Amino acid sequence: MAEVEFERRLERLFADAPELPDAAAFASRVERRLATGWTARRWLIGAAGVAGGVIGASQLIMSNLFQRVEAAGDSAKALQQGISQLAPHEGWVSGFADGGAVVWVASALAIVAMGFALTRVIEEL
Amino acid sequence: MSGATNFSFANLHDVELATHAAAGERRAFGELVRRHGSAVRGLLRRMGAQASEADDVAQDAFLTAFERIAEFRGEGAFAGWVKRIAARAYLRRLHKERRLGPLAEDVADEPDAAAPDADAAIDLDEAMKGLSAAERVCVTMCFGAGLSHAEAAEALNLPLGTVKSHVKRGLEKLRARLAPGDDASLAGRRGNG
Repeated sequence: MAEVEFERRLERLFADAPELPDAAAFASRVERRLATGWTARRWLIGAAGVAGGVIGASQLIMSNLFQRVEAAGDSAKALQQGISQLAPHEGWVSGFADGGAVVWVASALAIVAMGFALTRVIEEL
Repeated sequence: MSGATNFSFANLHDVELATHAAAGERRAFGELVRRHGSAVRGLLRRMGAQASEADDVAQDAFLTAFERIAEFRGEGAFAGWVKRIAARAYLRRLHKERRLGPLAEDVADEPDAAAPDADAAIDLDEAMKGLSAAERVCVTMCFGAGLSHAEAAEALNLPLGTVKSHVKRGLEKLRARLAPGDDASLAGRRGNG
């Protein structure tokens, strides 16, 4: 019984640790290290996201996307001609005619989107 | 603005702070470090670490705790959880630097430090100085970090019986050194903890 009481007393003594005089400085050092690690991680994630986005977009471009969109542009032109024959005054699909610009806009959007997606995935990991 | 935020953190319970920290709020974790930093450093010193080494290990332990904060579910005290991380980190360091060898020796006739007068009230830190390194580590892990004998044996990579022997002898020495009313005298010597 006395043994158990002594063990409880010992646990209390261990738990009731004295406050060290440099406790605030210690906490600041830990917070600084946390902040440093966090900043480094964010840079790493950002760099990985951009690199992943560029690689992903380049893969898209390399996989004959350009030709496919050009073909889509040609189809749009054919469609426009067909529509213009049906309704000569309607010109709302004329924007599709410029296939090259569409490719580059799509590529830029793909880079941004893939970079964003990869960044989110890495952050979740 | 930030002062107001810090004030609100200071009023939160450890579990709430841990929840904020898990959401990436570093200032909430900073408050936890402020609250329990001394306890963790004190534990490591009682295990036998020098002050600077104890601070290094404690810092690493808190960083590890932040990384793993989502694992803290609030079932036990936050301080106990970090202490266990710190104690294990210190043991890993001892293993790595091959300073743990003597702990495995179950020395029964180790020279004993001079026992203080029966009337002299000494605090726990003073009493711990009379223990061997093995006894100090084992007693601190079991009574300071809250590990069971089996967990301590596993962390120390020692047979369970050896750990129990170290703890038993350590307790006997502490019982002889700590005066009966030392709880109160120790509390009186503490700072604002």
